[in-house]
Order: sequence, then structure tokens, then C-alpha cells
Amino acid sequence: MSKRSKETFEGTEGELLSMTKELDELHYDVGMPAMRQGVANMIEGMKGGIAPTSRRTFLMGAGAAAAGGAALLVVGASPSLAGASTRKVSALRTVDAAAFPPAGLTGDLVVAAIAASLENLAVFAYSAGLTAATAGKLGTVPPAVATFATTAKAQHTQHAAAWNGVLKSYGKAAVTVTNPTLTPVVEGAFAKVTDIAGLAELAIMLETIAAQTYQAETSMLKSKAAIGLSSSIMPVEMQHIAILYYVLGKYPGAQSSAGTPLAFNPTSMAL
Amino acid sequence: MTADPRALAELLEESQDMQADALRPTHAALDELVELSHASPDDDPASNLAFHEEHKRSLTSSLGATSILGAAGGLALVGVLASAAAASSSSDVQILQTAASIENLAVATYKTALTLPYIGGSAADPVVTKFCQVTMGQHAQHADAFNAAVKHLHGKVQHKPDPAFVPVVNKAVASLGSATAAQGALGVVGLALELENIAAETYIHDTVLAKSKTNKALFASIMGIEAQHVSVLLAVQALLKAGAPQLISLAPGTGAALPAVAGSIGFPNAFYPTSSAAPAKQGAVK
Repeated sequence: MSKRSKETFEGTEGELLSMTKELDELHYDVGMPAMRQGVANMIEGMKGGIAPTSRRTFLMGAGAAAAGGAALLVVGASPSLAGASTRKVSALRTVDAAAFPPAGLTGDLVVAAIAASLENLAVFAYSAGLTAATAGKLGTVPPAVATFATTAKAQHTQHAAAWNGVLKSYGKAAVTVTNPTLTPVVEGAFAKVTDIAGLAELAIMLETIAAQTYQAETSMLKSKAAIGLSSSIMPVEMQHIAILYYVLGKYPGAQSSAGTPLAFNPTSMAL
Repeated sequence: MTADPRALAELLEESQDMQADALRPTHAALDELVELSHASPDDDPASNLAFHEEHKRSLTSSLGATSILGAAGGLALVGVLASAAAASSSSDVQILQTAASIENLAVATYKTALTLPYIGGSAADPVVTKFCQVTMGQHAQHADAFNAAVKHLHGKVQHKPDPAFVPVVNKAVASLGSATAAQGALGVVGLALELENIAAETYIHDTVLAKSKTNKALFASIMGIEAQHVSVLLAVQALLKAGAPQLISLAPGTGAALPAVAGSIGFPNAFYPTSSAAPAKQGAVK
């Protein structure tokens, strides 16, 4: 198959679209309720010593955040690629690394804040990429890449909303900034992005850091509910990585810097 | 995976070296696991009884809701699989044994698949063949890692496949005998997809169930790998169903030729579910 000529998908797009619709329905039937239940369990299971405001308030808040959280972040961030645009990425809502995580957070809530900041950064990065791609600054954009970025961004938005929902339920402010440690790294990488392949490599870096951070936290988190939420997100970031590699024509899985497939995912890039 | 089978073979060889390196810290951490286990209340009878009851309920619920397991023997399995004898082992040993049994089944399934002409024969796509080989090798390493953890806890290693899923696999494999190459390839992908998803969901759930940090870390290091296998298989399945097997390729230019929906079909859920996770002691050694 690999040696056959590439063909367009005119005759089969309908079938795939139908499958995608089914997947969307599955997502809303299974994924969203699972998220709500998982986060609700986390709220009830965490032993932070601070009573959550209420489960119902959180669930409403999480839903609203999932629906509009990304928009707030993007509006505030004015996403752009330094290498593809004259606008500066410094418009991001960042915070001094010394002031992060916010004071008053302890235990698993610290992890929730860091996780939200990582997800915010991913949302920003995909938004920036889509903006630059739409503006024609990255050359020809394969349709699968555009779909990937849009879908991955939506999922990261939901991840951020889930962690922020937890923070809110404990009376803490939602984290709307991007991770202060990683943001300068991403800004630097953005400055070098000139095409889709470069953007995909940057996305792989972000997804890898997120996945490995969640993986490392699995054995550090205290509450079972928090572990469950973290563990439900980590494999999804790994799936993003697999598809990115596939689109780039590389082995579609965890691998060494030399491209050697790995049976065990490392944590050397975890925050 | 690569467009050049020889290059992938080299990668596979390098991978085996890499895995040995990667497993070193895991084995080192197993010493910690033993200490943690000895310090934990795993062997406390009350704890074991509670664990037993919890997972008996879980198993009953799973069997009641899952047609696959129903085909494997239905509720009659509850008494066998959730026997008190199995509950005498520590909970971490049981979930590790179950994990090993799932990996053993995955290895056997890929091994069988590779004997089929359209998966491992001359008529097969070399990329698909190599993917199956690499993936089978990874599952073998996962099984070894789970069994190493079991041994460090003085449990019995699990070299058998998960008993609840064996009939399902056997039935699926038997049905491939009369299938065309296209049908057979889809059947194999569908079966592999189901097994990979069960593995991923089980290990996600096990990160919560495991008592020792080392075991949690072990499950966490593998669950994402299985989820990636799921992603690849979802994409391959979609391309096969759409009649575009030529796009199952890592050759330059393939990414640009992929249809839009191929960019999202590999990750259908923002939060990975665990509703198909195998009951914790389903594959425990009795």
C-alpha cells in the first residue's frame, strides 16, 4: 500500500464524514458525561480541606467553561505565529513564573492549576496555528491537519475546563494564563515555524510535555478521583501525538529522538 | 512504521535495545514497589475481602452489560472468575496478573494475525505487517514488565491469556477463514482495535486501583502506548472501510492526501472512558 500512488478522497469522503458524525455523537454520549462524572468524583474525592462550593455549581461552570473558555483565552491572547506574522505572541496572558501556581493552592489543586495552564497553552498554540494557516502563512495546509488542529484544540479546551472546574468548585480562581515555564519555550519555537511540518513538530512537543506531565503526576497525585481524571486525559494527548506523527510520515507512536518506537512512555519531558 | 520495511526492521531492532534501557529504571523501581507492598495493608484480610467484594460487583455489572463477555460464558463466569481463592492474592498482584493476561492475549492475537496472508504474508502490505510486528513486540514487553512486577511481589506470573476474552478472539479468528483479503484485514483490525482499547481502558482504571506508586507509574507508562495503538487502528480501519488502503502509508505526501476527517478519527473522546475496562481480577492466577 505504501508504494501505491496517492489518490484524492472524492469518492469516500462521505463515508468518512459519516463515521466522524458517529464519533462526534459517541463523544457527546460517552466523553462528556464521563468528563462530568470524573470531575465530579474528583471534587468529592479530593481531600484539600476546603469544601467545594457545590457539585451542581461546578457542573454548570464546567459546561460553560467548555463552551466559552477557549474563546476568552484566545481573545485575550491574540494568537499569532512570530515566524509567520508580525503580531507578537507576547500578547498572551502570561504570568511571572515566580507567581505560579497561584498562592493558596495546595496538594492536588496545585496540579490542577498546572494542568489547566498547560491546556491553555495548547489551546493557544492550536489557535495560533489555525490563524496563521488561514492567513496563508504556512503554505498549503492539508485538510487532515486543519481538522486535527480544530479537534485537538476543542479537546484541550475541555481539559482546561475540567481542571478549572475543579479549582472553581474549591473556591479558587480559574487559571486562564498559559504555563509560565513553558510559554517562553513555545514563543521561541513559534518564531521558527514557517510551514505546517514545523507547526506539527511544535504541537508534538507540547502534546508530549502534557502527556508526560500527566503520566508523572499519576503516581504523585493524592486523591483517586484526581488520578482518574489525569489518567483519562493522558492517553488522549498520546493519541494526538500518534496522529501528528502519522501526518508527518513518521512512526505513529511514542519514540526516541532518533525515531525508535518505545513500548514504555518516558517522563523525561514532564514539567 | 515507515514506508521502507527494511528501515522499520532496523527501527524494531533499535527499539528492543531502547526498551531494555527504558525498562532498567522500571526494574530498579520495582525494589521500591516491594518495599511499598510490604508496608501496605495489601495482605490485610479485611482489605482483601473488601477488594474481593468490590470487584465481584464490578465483574457482575460488567458481565451483565457486555455482550462480548456474555458470549464467553455469561453470569456463570462470575463465580469462577471472582472466586475467593483468587482474592487471597494482594490486589496489586491481581491487577498486574490481569494486565499480563491481556498482554498475552494481544501477543497471541497479533501472532495469529501475522500468519494470515493479507497481514503477514507476501500479499500483505509491508507497512501493516511491520506495524503488527512492532506492536506485538511491545505487548510482549508489557507482559514481561507486568510479570516482573508480580514476581517482585512474590506472586505467580501469568503466562496465560485473559480467559474471558479468549473465546471472543477464537470466534473472530475462526470467522476469518472464509473471508476475502479485504474483509479479513478489516476483521483483524477490528479485533485488534477491541483488544487494544480494552487494554488502554483497563490500565487507565488500574492507575486508580493500584496501591503502590510504582505500579501506578508502570500502568501509566503503558496506557498511553495502547491508546496510540487504538488511534492508529482507528485510522487504518477508517481508510480500509473507505476503500483507500493506499493511504495507509508513511510515504512522503501521504499526509497531504489524507481526507479532512482522517485528522480527527483517531481520538474520538476528549476524556478516555473506562467502561470497557476488564475487571481487576479477571485474569488473576488462581
